[in-house]
Amino acid sequence: MSIKTIGLTKYFGNLCAVDNVNLDVGNEIFGLLGLNGAGKTTTVLMLTTLLKPSIGEAYVCDFDVVREAGEVRKVISYVPQDMAVDIKLTGRENVMLYARLYGVADRNKRVDEVLGLMGLAGRANDRVNSYSGGMRRRLELAQALVHEPRVLFLDEPTLGLDVAARKKMWEYISLLKENGVSIFITTHYMDEADKFCDRVAIMDRGKIVAMDSPAKLKDSIKSLSIKETSLDDVFLQKVGAGGEQGGFDEYKFRTLLRRRK
Amino acid sequence: MKEIFYYFERDLKRWMRSGKSVFSSLAMPAAWLVFVGLALPIRFTDNYLDFITPGILVMTMLFASLQGGTLLIFDKILGFLNKFLALPAPRESILFGKILFIAFRGLLQSTVILVMAVLLGVKMHSFMTVPLTYLVLFIFGVLFSAIATTIALLVDDYDSYSAMNSMASMPLFFTSSALMPYEMMPQWLRIIASLNPVSYAIDTVRALFSGNFLLDGMFGLIAMVIVVLTVSVYVFRKATV
Repeated sequence: MSIKTIGLTKYFGNLCAVDNVNLDVGNEIFGLLGLNGAGKTTTVLMLTTLLKPSIGEAYVCDFDVVREAGEVRKVISYVPQDMAVDIKLTGRENVMLYARLYGVADRNKRVDEVLGLMGLAGRANDRVNSYSGGMRRRLELAQALVHEPRVLFLDEPTLGLDVAARKKMWEYISLLKENGVSIFITTHYMDEADKFCDRVAIMDRGKIVAMDSPAKLKDSIKSLSIKETSLDDVFLQKVGAGGEQGGFDEYKFRTLLRRRK
Repeated sequence: MKEIFYYFERDLKRWMRSGKSVFSSLAMPAAWLVFVGLALPIRFTDNYLDFITPGILVMTMLFASLQGGTLLIFDKILGFLNKFLALPAPRESILFGKILFIAFRGLLQSTVILVMAVLLGVKMHSFMTVPLTYLVLFIFGVLFSAIATTIALLVDDYDSYSAMNSMASMPLFFTSSALMPYEMMPQWLRIIASLNPVSYAIDTVRALFSGNFLLDGMFGLIAMVIVVLTVSVYVFRKATV
């Protein structure tokens, strides 16, 4: 089992950001879905040893994320949503830094290999400020892959990318899974989760409200509707349409718009 | 250990490729050297430039160190710190790499000021003055870059950090022995100045320039470095679990 959590809980003061989460993730692409603030990133931060759980246990490749944090860090890679690559360094220098910090053997060869794998070989010696958003994302993936992780955590990997770059990103991610890497992804994009994730969990206010393969989740609510269901419908049924309550008054908004005519 | 160097090298490359800002931070200490050192009508000495040069060297290091805290602030804001913390490399090497780079950058900038001072006619006692001055400046740089990075760990955004920086930097300089000897100071300032760690460094460098070695100034700095580094590591571990 690549990831296992038992009653994983995180409090920030009185706020319960992650509430009694139980997960089992194997060699698959596992998608964690939820609204902004549902607790997805907090969950990832705990699994990547960047945050201590308040209650409960979590294991990555059978290592305890608190007591064996060092071991966990050796087998994972984490790509946060910020696109943190050094724009004044070249693509190769960016990846080389991680190869050195991971203590990768035969660095030069491995760096060239991952840059090639991510389709960046031709631009490896250019500074990253000349890279497009999609290339920067792939560069981050190259950094993450340089030490051959067993579990890869991706926080919103396709955020802000165009259609072609998103498609490419998912092709790379699928390829990684074929090669035995377990992938834990958080995303807002239901269509992507539907198409590419083996299993998804839907998170709402810190709790997991549904967890299964996209097909089974869609089947489970089929009886409720006549038209073909999508993962969007599943999500809305489990979580409800109102993300932030009381923030938006449709009636007032309409009168406001009418007045502008 | 080598991880410290990897982080150091990253910051060094980024800084050297940042173009104009490599030199722009030298403008202020250079202006002090020329406009205050050469132009101020001072009565207690007939060569104010000789007197003020150690102060300007330490000031260069002080400002460079305090400015250096922004490096960690931006690593934090832009998500680099989280990526680094998830690596198996010893986490403290992030902190030490930063401190080392900031102090090293300060030394490079002090070198430019030192060369300028020599060109303007400042006399040094002997050839040994230079390496010993570097040693004092480096220890002082480590002290204040450790303070700066620790503050950077505790505050969340750039604005609060730079407010903190501008609040601390000039008062630290003015309440030191940079501008006038202790005998010339009013009583209240003399007390503050003799406690100010910036004065420790200035007095030690000034003594070196006239051929003396101030052992207690040096030990004072080293003792403070040990205390501050211990606090730094503690705060870093607390901030990153």
